[in-house]
Amino acid sequence: MSGHQLSGTTLRERTAAAVADERLRGNVARAVDRFASHRLRGLAELDDGQGGGPDALRRAARAVKADVLARLPDLLEQFADRVLDLGGHVCWAPTAADARRYVVEVVRSTGARRVAKSKSMATEEIDLNPALEAAGAEVVETDLGEWIVQLAGETPSHIIAPALHKDRHQIRDLFVDAVAAPADLPTEPAELVAFARRRLRDVFLGADVGVTGANVAVASTGSIVLVTNEGNGRLVTALPRVHVVVLGMERLAADWHQAELLLALLARSATGQRLSSYTSVVTGPRGPGEVDGPEELHVVVLDNGRSELLGGEHHEMLACIRCGACLNVCPVYRQTGGHAYGWVYPGPMGAVLTPLLAAEHPEAAEVADASTLCAACMDACPVQIPLQDLLLSLRRAKAADAGRAERAAWRAWSAAWSDPRRYAATTRAATWGRWAAPLAGRLPVARGWAAGRTVPRPAGERFRDRWRRGL
Amino acid sequence: MDGPRPAGTGREAGDRTAFLAPARRRLAGGVPANPVHPPPAPLAGAAVPRPAYRNLDPDDLVGTFARAVAEADGTCHVVEGDVPDDLLDRLVDELGGRPVVATAEPGAEGVARRLADRGVAVEPFTVEAAARAALGVTGAAAAVAATGSVVLDSRRAGGRTASLLPPVHLCVVQVAALHPTPADVLRHLGDPGGGLPPSLVLVTGPSRTGDIEQLLTLGAHGPTALHVVLVLDGPGPASTRDGGARA
Repeated sequence: MSGHQLSGTTLRERTAAAVADERLRGNVARAVDRFASHRLRGLAELDDGQGGGPDALRRAARAVKADVLARLPDLLEQFADRVLDLGGHVCWAPTAADARRYVVEVVRSTGARRVAKSKSMATEEIDLNPALEAAGAEVVETDLGEWIVQLAGETPSHIIAPALHKDRHQIRDLFVDAVAAPADLPTEPAELVAFARRRLRDVFLGADVGVTGANVAVASTGSIVLVTNEGNGRLVTALPRVHVVVLGMERLAADWHQAELLLALLARSATGQRLSSYTSVVTGPRGPGEVDGPEELHVVVLDNGRSELLGGEHHEMLACIRCGACLNVCPVYRQTGGHAYGWVYPGPMGAVLTPLLAAEHPEAAEVADASTLCAACMDACPVQIPLQDLLLSLRRAKAADAGRAERAAWRAWSAAWSDPRRYAATTRAATWGRWAAPLAGRLPVARGWAAGRTVPRPAGERFRDRWRRGL
Repeated sequence: MDGPRPAGTGREAGDRTAFLAPARRRLAGGVPANPVHPPPAPLAGAAVPRPAYRNLDPDDLVGTFARAVAEADGTCHVVEGDVPDDLLDRLVDELGGRPVVATAEPGAEGVARRLADRGVAVEPFTVEAAARAALGVTGAAAAVAATGSVVLDSRRAGGRTASLLPPVHLCVVQVAALHPTPADVLRHLGDPGGGLPPSLVLVTGPSRTGDIEQLLTLGAHGPTALHVVLVLDGPGPASTRDGGARA
């Protein structure tokens, strides 16, 4: 069901399609406005105890992630050793294919027919669902928004609200078409949620394997922290016999002091809540005397291009805690929604991550252009990732790789306009070529530039000629 | 089914050393500081600042807790002695004859007995009983005033789903277990000798979703309603026990 569109489309085509869809833009704008105002209200309640306000805590969170990333290999070893001590299994997966292979093998060896998933962007990144389905398992997303996009054959358009681009009418129609909801199902959100609850309850009770991501992994205790509102994360880690965690290798905290600060900022930055309804700390498989919980716990530690960022210009992007705040304040995301970014991660964090993590697609580099560089994302980021600097650096790299023809053209332009006589000659030529201006947009080399722009028509007489005549 | 895996028997797949080698190599040269927005010095352990909560009244933890539970769309009942009869009567009315599941925890057991006295079918906690039940009754290991959270410990409750599968959750917690902020609970999870349960959950209000037009809808997959009963008897809140204010 991979809806990723990087190959075969350009950023311009995808944004043009999104911007032309007024219903989509209305849905996205309404949602991000709600998110953004809740976030401001939630954060305003926090302080560092010395009057520094939430910004002092954001600065501290940046320092926390700097510490984690600087000693990431040691912390990963400590984390893995704790998990193994607790009786959990650990898989080291350098690539997406390694991670998929391991999870498929776990599902196969369990004899599992049904896999229940809690929302996880890491599993989106590695395209896990098609691999599990190819191995004969039925995979059901249980986060309501994620279930909606799964039924629609789409990918999430927002990292914490996957179906934010759809309104209640579209969701009702989808339920009727895809899962035979009664045709008179009301469009009231409460009714739609109740329908999904009934349908998904049986999925939870009948699932053999539960798959989740991780919001934070704590090295000192080998714990996985899952933050959810619906309760699906809790059910997925309580009812199936096997729990598989796909953990991006950078999502660590060294200890509970660090984890606590990150969690205080995460929920408020995401939805404005003091804490999400359920902050679950999973430490090892089911214990003696417990009546539920997984008998097996597998943690898949995923690299998939992340270690390449360590110690380099884009090192700090690995500090991202996936709260979605940068999406909600981005003027580009607001107009296009998430699908225009073409891959898994949208918004400013996606504009940085896509060129870095999807580098095998040549089309990924241009996603760094999906930004106005207004820096609203930096102001919103709870761990103060310098997103604007990272976007600029990606654009510089792209320009350095730009085609030879383009560079030759700029060199010729620079040679011509740095000499007064040659400059005058080009402006005279432009006057003569005045009739040709409307055609410029049809030239293959200028077509992309001219789309959406009005090509200016040179004046009939040059200013320097009028000046010489005495105006 | 072989039951839970004994500690220390986890298996490792893949090559740990090879996996970590690229990260070690890249970090060996240090991390270049962003010249435009230089990063602060790294922070770990107790040096990490503790968030302060503007809604927290340190002289009134009980009031802060009750307000925060309500603001998270739960219902808080602050009581002397025991769960009040009128609350139990109301819950029994709502049951409409359906069963109740209760964990074998302090706090929950007394309520289970009193519900049974009212003719309600109260079942001990199994997944099947929880899936059938219209009400789940549990205790809590702790509570947090600033966020209105109750802390559920799977070891203490005998598992996870008694508080999750039924549409209504009744949670009974003693004031002695009330802490001011999440830091007072979370930052002690790694304490030596503490030992974490396989599942520990901070529950803040009932289950909810905003996935349809970002409008709040309660009761997505977990309970639609959460009743928290804070029992004032016994020692005061955890942070104020030594001569501090007693609400």
